Amino acid sequence: MFLELTEEQKLIQETAREFARVELEPVAAQLDQEHDRGPLLANLKKLAELGFMGLNIREEFGGAEAGTIAFSLAMTEIARACASTAVTVSVNNMVCEVIQAVGTEEQKQAYIPRICSGEFAAGSFALTETGAGSDPSGMTTQAVADGDSYVLNGAKIFITSAPYAGVFVVWAVTDKEAPKGKGISCFLVEAGTKGLIIGKEEKKMGQHASATNEVLFDDCRIPKSALMGKLNDGFRTAVGELAGGRIGIGSLGLGIGLAAMDYATHYATERSQFGQRISNFQAIQWMIADGYTELEAARLLLLNAAFRKDSGRTFAKEASMAKLYATEAANRACYAALQMLGGYGYTQDFPVERYARDARITAIYEGTNEIQRVIISREILKNFG
Amino acid sequence: MKILICVKQVPDMESRFKPDNAGVWFSDTDLAFRMNEYDEYAVEQAVQLREQLGDAADLTVLSIGPDRIVEALKKALAMGCDRAVHIQDPAAALKDPWQIAAIIAAFAKDKGFDLIFTGLQSQDRGSAQVGVTVAERLGFACTTTLVGFAFADGVITAKRELEGGVKGVVKLRTPALVTCQLGLNVPRYPTLPNIMKSKKKELVTIPVADLLHEEALAVTARFYPPAKKGGGIVLEGDVGDMAEKLIAILKEKTNVLR
Repeated sequence: MFLELTEEQKLIQETAREFARVELEPVAAQLDQEHDRGPLLANLKKLAELGFMGLNIREEFGGAEAGTIAFSLAMTEIARACASTAVTVSVNNMVCEVIQAVGTEEQKQAYIPRICSGEFAAGSFALTETGAGSDPSGMTTQAVADGDSYVLNGAKIFITSAPYAGVFVVWAVTDKEAPKGKGISCFLVEAGTKGLIIGKEEKKMGQHASATNEVLFDDCRIPKSALMGKLNDGFRTAVGELAGGRIGIGSLGLGIGLAAMDYATHYATERSQFGQRISNFQAIQWMIADGYTELEAARLLLLNAAFRKDSGRTFAKEASMAKLYATEAANRACYAALQMLGGYGYTQDFPVERYARDARITAIYEGTNEIQRVIISREILKNFG
Repeated sequence: MKILICVKQVPDMESRFKPDNAGVWFSDTDLAFRMNEYDEYAVEQAVQLREQLGDAADLTVLSIGPDRIVEALKKALAMGCDRAVHIQDPAAALKDPWQIAAIIAAFAKDKGFDLIFTGLQSQDRGSAQVGVTVAERLGFACTTTLVGFAFADGVITAKRELEGGVKGVVKLRTPALVTCQLGLNVPRYPTLPNIMKSKKKELVTIPVADLLHEEALAVTARFYPPAKKGGGIVLEGDVGDMAEKLIAILKEKTNVLR
């Protein structure tokens, strides 16, 4: 048992922390309140140049080959400052990883370096539909073979980064007659392809700077070479890649939770009521103790899941456990932090209300926490009876 | 052009410092460490010089300390240094500037370095003596407190920061040693691919006993935190009186209202 990070992991964590403190933190509140995405896109470019878009990607494609533990550490540090930036980085890494895992050599060469270098501000993961959220196998977007092409028709929803993504990983039904989940394939669609329409942007509760859009396919014709992985095997790809993404989102939740607790704890040592600092009161002390204890547990769950992934072991259950626990701990931490600030916590003069709004979605996206519980219990029950 | 950059790993300055058991230095248990800020300027300037000179420049980064300092060396490698030297010394923190300078000079002599960059001082000990002492021991030209650096035709043009914001310009020929001050440059973030590649760069470890044959000249006798003061000055009275008192204090104790 050895819990020390490697020197490289520490340096990546330090780089992420410094970048977040200097570049992300000062614009986070502005990004939350205003509609100008300029600072977000500028920071994404800088993060790409530093290597944060391909942490687990091979060097030949412009990646850092730094591994999943480093990815988790980086996500936490970025999210401490700006959750909107963090979610974009997490999805970009996931898009690169799915292309690296199942793409052809040509697809890898064509797209991964452009996301890793920042030429593409983002990549999008287009799985969810209005009628296919927790149950993605119920999707209706179709890809129909037609000569040298596939023709896509359908609508995706809640697609992160769609307005500035350079490439979309799109899942569509290719065999309507197949049993559920067995007739879905995965495609790469470039931004600007005729018939690929970026639809309305959602007005969200939090993570405002990260765009979340409807994406429509209207007779969108793509070459046969855009198929990624095996025909009709796309659902398995999606399920597999989402497990890695969950480590990213859990780490993001952890970062928000830590930011909230750090802010509130500092506040509690300065705020006086009844003639003394409120950190002298046991009610506040217990919030601090519980918040940090849960976040520490979350950190260890995340690092364990990341360690298993890097070691080539199964990690889906551990990734789901870590995502479930970290994002719920983060939400509880934000609730407690806001409570510690009292009325001020509810105002936009303090960042805690933003943390609370930003944290809420982490229990929903990348698989709701109810779905995480389904995955966890299914994996456990396999070993009983 | 052979360039040596000397770096130190220091605690994060936001740490809470406690004396060690012997009461002569701070305890390093539970502290987070990073590269001394001034040494980051030194590394950055050396890397910029290499960008100017191309492969004609060869950058060696050196640090003295326990195994944990390898992280600082790897950061310098990730920022662009070519090779690293770890002078292994678990007790480096207890050595005085004379000994540290003696170790560096013993390593550097006969190696043919043309230029040595160091930080102006370390953030923890803050003696500002190591750089100049190394220069003296090696017989190098030396200037300190750099806020500007240029190199052309074998001549270094160094802009120095003097008291009260006054600047001076010094020209010196190699071999030379310069110490770097805040404002010289903005150190780059090491990129993640370069952090990972730092693993593959040369890192030589030398036991300190091979290089150090000097006794300390100035031994730290005691390390202690300042006595706790009261909670500052609390002004009382009506707002007008408090404003008057505050103005008087600012005039007396600071430059703000002069």
